[in-house]
Amino acid sequence: MPISIVVPQLGESITEGTVSKWLKQAGDRVRKDEPLVEIQTDKINVELPSPAEGTLEAITVPEGTTVPVGTEIGVLVGTAADDAAAPAPAGAPAAAPPHPEVEGDSARQGNLSPAVRRLMREYNVAMPEIAAIRGTGLAGRVSRDDLLEYLKGRATPPAATPAGAPSPVPALAAPVPALAAPTAPAAVLPGLAPAGPFASSGPREELIPFNRVRRLIAENMVRAKHTAAHTHCFDETDMSAVVALRREWAAKLEAQGVHLTYMPFFIKAAVLALREFPWVNGEVRGEVMVVKRYYNIGIAVGRADKGLIVPNLKDCDRKGLVQLAGEVNDLAARARAERLRPDEIAGGTFSITNAGVYGALNSAPVINLPEVAILGVHKIAERPVARGGQVVVRPMMNVAIGFDHRVVDGELAVKFLRRVCELLERPELLWFYA
Amino acid sequence: MSGILSVCHLGATPYREGLALQEALVRRRAAARNGGAQATDWLLYPDHPPVLTMGRGGSGESLRVSRESLAARGIEWFEVARGGDLTWHGPGQLVGYPIVDLDPRGRDLHRYLRELEEVLILALERWGVPARRVPGRTGVWAGEEKIASLGIAVRHWVGYHGFALNLAPDLGFFELIHPCGLRGIRMTSVAARLGACAPTLDRARHEVAGLLARRLGYDGIRWATAEEVRNLAASIETSTAVHTNAHHAA
Repeated sequence: MPISIVVPQLGESITEGTVSKWLKQAGDRVRKDEPLVEIQTDKINVELPSPAEGTLEAITVPEGTTVPVGTEIGVLVGTAADDAAAPAPAGAPAAAPPHPEVEGDSARQGNLSPAVRRLMREYNVAMPEIAAIRGTGLAGRVSRDDLLEYLKGRATPPAATPAGAPSPVPALAAPVPALAAPTAPAAVLPGLAPAGPFASSGPREELIPFNRVRRLIAENMVRAKHTAAHTHCFDETDMSAVVALRREWAAKLEAQGVHLTYMPFFIKAAVLALREFPWVNGEVRGEVMVVKRYYNIGIAVGRADKGLIVPNLKDCDRKGLVQLAGEVNDLAARARAERLRPDEIAGGTFSITNAGVYGALNSAPVINLPEVAILGVHKIAERPVARGGQVVVRPMMNVAIGFDHRVVDGELAVKFLRRVCELLERPELLWFYA
Repeated sequence: MSGILSVCHLGATPYREGLALQEALVRRRAAARNGGAQATDWLLYPDHPPVLTMGRGGSGESLRVSRESLAARGIEWFEVARGGDLTWHGPGQLVGYPIVDLDPRGRDLHRYLRELEEVLILALERWGVPARRVPGRTGVWAGEEKIASLGIAVRHWVGYHGFALNLAPDLGFFELIHPCGLRGIRMTSVAARLGACAPTLDRARHEVAGLLARRLGYDGIRWATAEEVRNLAASIETSTAVHTNAHHAA
């Protein structure tokens, strides 16, 4: 008889565990009480002993995956005398002792293994279909084999639910029968008929374990917010001159193989302003303020599902605009391809984040510790502004600065930000003073 | 909860030996539950030579120097089945391995972890170092710096591994790693906070044992000699060697 290996209750406040290491492989024989798998939660690593002698038939949750307490992570087939007929072919009803409390459909649905749920997502199997399958698992539960058998017989997968038809409500994660009411909002809006994977009958929640990058981002963000006295202020700048410059030069540089974005202009302006206001280019180290006379400018690069990373360009004060343009593109491309060198993500002195590439008009960025300030640049949008008593249309951009008020006073931050705006409005200043 | 807590200062103990002693006592404790021999819970205090140990929560990216260079620095390296990431043990640190049957304690692992933290916080406060927890970051902190690390393993519902309190270690060793996998955290020690007023390791061992016995509800403490523990472990080793070979190899 198959025995479910589940993540046990590990404590009142513990709701989930991570499978840290399988000590046996599928197919391995195990003795009763022999360590089978390690589960980690917080700073605790728990060895689960095998509940019986037998063979580990299947590992349903791989290492590194976090699952709620009670989830089946593997299946053991016992070898005690009364289980002689255990490895019965799929379809043969196993002599499972009836558990009256789990006979109801809702209880069965809640007990589906991750493997079954995955198949249900892949093949778009709705809950009522599962309810109709005669399960051969423990307590009549539908196993992976049962479902595969059923899918073989199912003529056409109801991939696209016809509009108006009862749409499968994703009620797996919360097996409450009332939730399966046949009126989903999707049926009311035919244009938004369920099509994508999110609309199909999958669980309503998914546990995605933090990978290393996500964990580091989370830690850095929380540490930044807890350490620095974050304060923000905002300004706006008229981008007419930079837009014109870029329009003129982009094509010429493209011919040389350099794609010119706005970022090199932002870096140039920031570096010149930093030289004028050195405290903004600093670091808090214990009880001292470190003022840096080198300018390694971090650029926040978003990477879809891989998460944000902030590589920096070294010594930006010694580089020309064209060189910066080439290096910015190279750095961003390698950040997305995960080809950064370790020194490129360390040693930054100040950062710039451009939420405008996604369309943001404004933002309040988080400081990239141990730096003390970050410049936020945004979408350049034409809008009416007053110039000399006239309303004119200009390409305007909001800029933001997030600063650590422990060491950067508001006056300093505002003056710095204003200077950045001036340098962007009058790029010739870059030429005169940079 | 009642019973006696056996406590032992093992003296110089290579990490590998410390692990074997723990595993033997864990087996004995678990066996005693099923009506086997009499056994108590233990608190072992080993003095490890410098060693880096990587728990199951680690990724290998917490080491800031190459693995090859460790031997040249006289540091051993172990990967162990405890919770948590990379940490350092060595001279000047109070390393404690409570071997505690968690079955009669309701198998609540977080509560156990929090109790261990509480014991260290109480000890530190007694010595004049204000200490605290940081939610979501197991361990004990003095201000913004970490002063003690915890990592627990559980086998047959017996907890082992434990805590490492920085009494007066060479904090330079922590420069080799990102302790516990956390970037940018600073480690501190009781000596760094108190200077010459820091308690000796011996006093710390006694006070932490007393607090631990009180917090975990033992009736009393019995100090055992290192010889007794080593003989006991050896007798368990030989009697169960056949049974355990399989999973040591795994």
